[in-house]
Amino acid sequence: MSFLLLLPVLALVLFACAHTQSMALKHPMEVSGMPICSDCHTDWRASLNHTSDFYTRHRFYAAQSNQACGICHKESFCSDCHAHKEELKPSDKYKDSPELALPHRGDYLNQHKIDGRINPASCFPCHGRQNNERCKTCHR
Amino acid sequence: MLLMLKCGRPVLQTACAVILLSLMLLCTPGVSQAVDLSGDSRTYLQSRETADSTKIIGGYEYLDLDVQNLGNETISFHTGGWLRYDFKGEEFNEKTNDDLQYAYLSFKSKTDNTMVNLGRVMVFEGVAHERVDGIYARTDLRYNFGISAFGGNPVELGNPLDTPAGSSGNNSIYGARLAHQVAGLYTIGASYLKEERNGADYRKEEGIDLWLHPVNKVDLSGRSNYNAITKEWMENTYNLVLGPFAGLRFTTEASWINYKDYFFGTTMSAFTFQPGVLDPNEKVRILGENVAYNFTDKVSITADYKTYAYSIAGDSKYYGANLKYSETSQGAGLSAHKMDGDTDRLKYWEYRAYGFKKIDKFDVSVDVLDVKYTVAINGVSNAYSASLGLGYDVLENLKIGADVEYAKNPDFDKDIRTFLKAIYRFDVGTGARKGV
Repeated sequence: MSFLLLLPVLALVLFACAHTQSMALKHPMEVSGMPICSDCHTDWRASLNHTSDFYTRHRFYAAQSNQACGICHKESFCSDCHAHKEELKPSDKYKDSPELALPHRGDYLNQHKIDGRINPASCFPCHGRQNNERCKTCHR
Repeated sequence: MLLMLKCGRPVLQTACAVILLSLMLLCTPGVSQAVDLSGDSRTYLQSRETADSTKIIGGYEYLDLDVQNLGNETISFHTGGWLRYDFKGEEFNEKTNDDLQYAYLSFKSKTDNTMVNLGRVMVFEGVAHERVDGIYARTDLRYNFGISAFGGNPVELGNPLDTPAGSSGNNSIYGARLAHQVAGLYTIGASYLKEERNGADYRKEEGIDLWLHPVNKVDLSGRSNYNAITKEWMENTYNLVLGPFAGLRFTTEASWINYKDYFFGTTMSAFTFQPGVLDPNEKVRILGENVAYNFTDKVSITADYKTYAYSIAGDSKYYGANLKYSETSQGAGLSAHKMDGDTDRLKYWEYRAYGFKKIDKFDVSVDVLDVKYTVAINGVSNAYSASLGLGYDVLENLKIGADVEYAKNPDFDKDIRTFLKAIYRFDVGTGARKGV
């Protein structure tokens, strides 16, 4: 029954569609390293410059326009950190790229007690809010 | 094999149905001749010791697949996941583990940025950053509006640790986001999320997200999330970027987080409110400034300063500088930071030096971190780790690598870890047209 109620909403959405051109499915040229989008783009895409602080700001762009992220990045790029069950540290998987701003480098067993005290909210986006085997090993 | 392992769980029935549907599509005459199959296989072998000196050797296989042009270039299928098997010892008390991270059939329209994903989807929309077994859809509307919605079964509630005997297991999640933008000037969105656990309200969150570009070289982005159950703000986080002005760029960060409202409903034991760990009435205000200067397009220096002000625990300051040299085939970095807090644990210096270079088919990387605690932890006042990594491109699409890391820290007096990897990327276009 509730599904039938959705049909008029769907019809309204289709009627109100903008009929604009969709974004490209894939960036027309291969981009490597940390791209400075403003080298080519002068519109809103220039704000996606992957400068050294982009690591701390990427959440805002992903929450507003993750389709733009998908032009260059595959889904696995997100799930490597944000799938909530990850066991391997990103910095271990990509040790050949020490220039990347990846979390948990070096000894993190001790450091996580410090980071957890400083800003525990920063753990949620990758580790989720639910119990897991890893935390239960010590936090019973 | 990965899919067979996962399909035994009821929570993945939707994802499995999508995979089955995709395979049927692939077998359809006409479709199989046009599809592009790409992806990568990443195989890792990690050797390490736990704090109680148990040796663990674990093998991981990560597999990501993308199937494009399923009869129509706007229909595609994407899946990725991993599995682990421990050849020696047991990681986190389990010999094996696995995760189907995402698996969905996707339809993308050539107009309106319309997209419909069906299966196990990752949703990043306003207040929501979720994994859902269900549906996610979005489209542009007239007058520069855009709308997105999602619904289904929350993957995070499928953990048996959170499903005690007798619970109904009747879980659901849904949400939506409505946005308006003036291209190049602003994007503002309002979003809502509701999650039910065992048939009862578990999360009700509302959010505002903003990107504002009033003039050239000024970008303000951020979000405010509200907990509609506790009726308080969970967090307000905003970043202001100014520049570049002759190579100089300023980034200011301001955040306010209320623990009681942010961590509401969490079952992760590390985040449940416990004396001495997390106080439910704690509130933190974070203010930070990052100033970066590019000497050339390859050399830059960054100075950063951040303050953490707590309502209950003592305050902290974190500040320092980075010097960075970066090219595609080589790079290096040097950094020093100080954590200056009110408690003993929050008094330390942190140093890092790294470098990497690619020579023909070989690449080498080194990374050294050193932390000097003002007050020793477990009798250790100087913790460090050093790693050396080597890689070799066997083929254009096959890379092998190995690295070793040596560390001394408050938990390990001599910790040696090794990591082997093989990465294979494939891209099989069976049709005349590849890519977009």
